[in-house]
Amino acid sequence: MSLFENAIWLLAVLPVFSGMISLLMPSPRRVLASIAAGMLVITGIDLWVVARVFLKGTISSNNAWFRLDALSAYHLAVMMIVFLMSSFYACSYFRNEPAALRLNHFLARKFSAIWHGALAAMTLVLISNNIGVMWVGVEATTLLTAFLICLHISAVSLEATWKYLIVCSVGVAFAFMGVLLLAASTGNLAAGSTILQWTHLQSISATLDPRLVKLSFIFLLVGYGTKAGLAPMHSWLPDAHSQAPAPVSAIFSGFMLNMALYCIMRHLPIAARAQGNSLWANNLLVFFGLASILIAAVFILSQHDLKRLLAYHSVEHIGIIALGLGLGPLGVFAALFHTLNHSLCKTLGFFSAGRIGQIYGSHDMRSIKGTLRVDPLWGGGLFGSLLALIGVAPFAVFMSELIILKAAADARQYYAIILFLAGAGIVFVGALRHAIDMAWGNKPEGVAAPSSRLIERLIVILPLAALLLIGVWMPACFRNALELAAAIVTGGRP
Amino acid sequence: MTENIMAVLILINLALTASSRLGGCINLVAVQGIAIGLLPLFAQEGLTLRGFLLAAFVVILKGIVFPRLLINTVRDAAVRREVEPFVGYGFSLMIGTALTVIAFWLGTKLPLSLSPSGMSLVLPGAIGTIFTGLFMIVSRRKAVTQVLGYLVMENGIAAFGLAVVSEIPLLIELGILLDTFVAIFVMAIMIYHISREFEHIDVDQLSALKG
Repeated sequence: MSLFENAIWLLAVLPVFSGMISLLMPSPRRVLASIAAGMLVITGIDLWVVARVFLKGTISSNNAWFRLDALSAYHLAVMMIVFLMSSFYACSYFRNEPAALRLNHFLARKFSAIWHGALAAMTLVLISNNIGVMWVGVEATTLLTAFLICLHISAVSLEATWKYLIVCSVGVAFAFMGVLLLAASTGNLAAGSTILQWTHLQSISATLDPRLVKLSFIFLLVGYGTKAGLAPMHSWLPDAHSQAPAPVSAIFSGFMLNMALYCIMRHLPIAARAQGNSLWANNLLVFFGLASILIAAVFILSQHDLKRLLAYHSVEHIGIIALGLGLGPLGVFAALFHTLNHSLCKTLGFFSAGRIGQIYGSHDMRSIKGTLRVDPLWGGGLFGSLLALIGVAPFAVFMSELIILKAAADARQYYAIILFLAGAGIVFVGALRHAIDMAWGNKPEGVAAPSSRLIERLIVILPLAALLLIGVWMPACFRNALELAAAIVTGGRP
Repeated sequence: MTENIMAVLILINLALTASSRLGGCINLVAVQGIAIGLLPLFAQEGLTLRGFLLAAFVVILKGIVFPRLLINTVRDAAVRREVEPFVGYGFSLMIGTALTVIAFWLGTKLPLSLSPSGMSLVLPGAIGTIFTGLFMIVSRRKAVTQVLGYLVMENGIAAFGLAVVSEIPLLIELGILLDTFVAIFVMAIMIYHISREFEHIDVDQLSALKG
């Protein structure tokens, strides 16, 4: 199998091929259909590779430039699920756009090219073993996806794009300072091409200069944290999520934020070990996590725009994942579990918000009433995903949040428990009110929904069913996979 | 020679904070980019083909391609050729000076072992350049000046990298350059769209999205 193992870089090239094929399609509709078909193939291949990593162990290739271990394989699987769902949803979403916004051939091709490009860049981030290449991939996603936000050019979408470009470019430049400082902390012991290799840095992490590693981790956390939407660096996030077309918001929230957090997860064990296994880096994550949860809670209370509401939910959940990462092995396990849960229900949330917005012609929650009667499918999807998001049992989000609470209790971080519960409580009350108001209430006149197709029903029902299933019963193989991935973040500590 | 280049860099930083003409700023940033491109030639022991090619690439990109792109953007957007800072030029220059002083102080504080000995100006110069870039991004009204600020910040980071890491793999260095190039390109396209949609490129008026 050595031939195969030397070819995992192909995973990042696959989307490019698929993108080229879709460019040849003769009509906008065919272009979108070919994206979905291509995604199906790519997902099949990627999931096969992921399964192989979990069954037979880490794959390392091309002189260790590329590497797929349990942590990156897990994120790869989450990413493909999000992209697959979003690609199928995109067909239905763009077909239902009002005539003025309908994609012409040029826009459909542009969408396809950037969509595949973003997938390739995100795959590169996940499979590269080199923190420099990882950084290049993150910056590339910023530049590519900027065009997706302003797919339909308007005053507000340009404003959102500009904020996204400047804030994230500067943020990611900070992360590069962190990469440089980390390389400097080796004392130039090992010049040459291994200096930025994650496995190399990991193996010598006990000998790194602790002061420089500390400084570098702050830069990395602020830099990648900006891209992940951790408060207070989240200022770009609500604008970009609310102005982008719904399938784009879904991949932003469902995976791009997680990808930035993944980069922080890679640096966490190095930082922790260089500080002599002190809890300094962990406490920093707990602090940013709690700040995100509380700031998001305040904004969720006073929100009127449906997509902005979901965007602030992203800030909250990224905060919860960061909090989990800071709470030791059990917390990391829960954080990784929460990553999948959040991605599933947030993509469904944005899908529903996009279609509901098209049906009502507005994203203002004060004019969206009676969704369950107008469109049982998407209204139900929105209601279900909001319930899952705020942590109603027995959805899986409730389970992962419960484990994080337990991890906090084990770590004796009682103030963290209080603040987390306060934030989650505010979000629960605030969002539940919105969810109930939108689901029931008097439906406005003249609002009608087209009948739904089988694929749309699957897009709504499958994620909700999956969330219920893994909330009630976690399969042993899934638990093993999470434990393997968590062990990498904690640096092998039990 | 390295010291001289860094001194030029620091002077350009101060000039940027005080300059009022958009075209002048673009030229200053271009000169700074060329200086950054030449820096590795003197930092390393001897001339290698790799170092030379990389320097040539950076000089062409930062000295010719970026300035041309930005000047074209300003012309197409048909904006007033003033920088229009939120604070006055005098105050701006004072902040620039203060940032340079802070950079010198930080340069002595950082626990870094510099690779070639005696490069006392490199670290303060690099940090000061990063600060100047950030200051330009937050204190100037035009979208073009924000792009210039981003470029200055990138210049500072490049100098910083040169000071603290003796050798970054070529592939990664090229990747970073490519990213910067695409970033400037993307920003220029956005400025074009913004100027068509709004008939101005003042970022303080991009404030419809709140809460």
